[in-house]
Amino acid sequence: MTFLFDICQFLNDSAIGTAIRESDLMFPIIESVHVLGITLLVGTVAILDLRLLGLILRREPVSQIAGQILPWTWAGFAIMFASGFLLFWAEAVKCYGNPAFRLKVLLLVLVGLNPSIFHSTIYRRVSEWDTASVTPARARLAAVLSLSLWSGVIVTGRAIAYFKSALR
Amino acid sequence: MSLLGLFRWLGGTPVGALIRDSTWGFAIVEMIHLLALAVLGGTILILDLRLIGLGLRRQPVRLLARELSPWFTGSLLVMVVSGTVLTSGETLKCFYNQAFRWKMLLLAAAIAFYYTLHWKVVRSDGGEVGIASRLAGVISLMLWLSVGVAGRAIGLI
Repeated sequence: MTFLFDICQFLNDSAIGTAIRESDLMFPIIESVHVLGITLLVGTVAILDLRLLGLILRREPVSQIAGQILPWTWAGFAIMFASGFLLFWAEAVKCYGNPAFRLKVLLLVLVGLNPSIFHSTIYRRVSEWDTASVTPARARLAAVLSLSLWSGVIVTGRAIAYFKSALR
Repeated sequence: MSLLGLFRWLGGTPVGALIRDSTWGFAIVEMIHLLALAVLGGTILILDLRLIGLGLRRQPVRLLARELSPWFTGSLLVMVVSGTVLTSGETLKCFYNQAFRWKMLLLAAAIAFYYTLHWKVVRSDGGEVGIASRLAGVISLMLWLSVGVAGRAIGLI
């Protein structure tokens, strides 16, 4: 694991990392962008998940909702990832030892796997259940997983700051 | 009772004391506040993007508004309740905080706009994305966005 730590140390000590960390405004501004990115990403993901569960827009075809929303989800992901990486860059060493951060990274991997599996399996046959108000069990499972994992990402993400102060 | 008196009273309630005295109380309520934000922000984004002519374009505005409004109201309610609990943990700090004052003003404006002009535009939707529709979408997005930014700033000043 020292290799990972070395990378964190390197990022932490780099000019950009130091600049973000030492600036009064940069960190909070990037953080605000990060939170707005959450709304875009998780908000649009939730709309599709709630449709899969049959809780909203029951009469609209799933593929139509997914197709129209996906570009916005990707935009949110891009904003989240870019701003999140900048935040990590500034505090890489603190993040390395932070239990909330570690859990968040784990959840992010899982939350990334979920749509990959969903799209390569059950969603391939979406034409068979596109207009069903309640979708197949596997699609609903994917939706529940997605909603819980993203909630976990938000919660652990917020918790990073609390652990930092607890350990200091 | 004066406004300051109201804040003092809120801080003196058992909830206020609980939030102040517990290690994780504030953090947990803040996480609930954030989770509700994702839902609230999502519903606002979907509806306002549609009013501007983006996103779920094939669904009628009225349908989206009808389907999303329980989620809007529900998440707003969770945000207001959790926000009040958070405030009760640091009433005087909030009362004198400029960002907090702005947030409350902007929140009142955003809610008022949502249930008046925004609502009118949504209900009068004739299928075409006109200037009134776009304007309502943009203004609503800006108002809610500024509520969020002012909210984040409470912890910074």
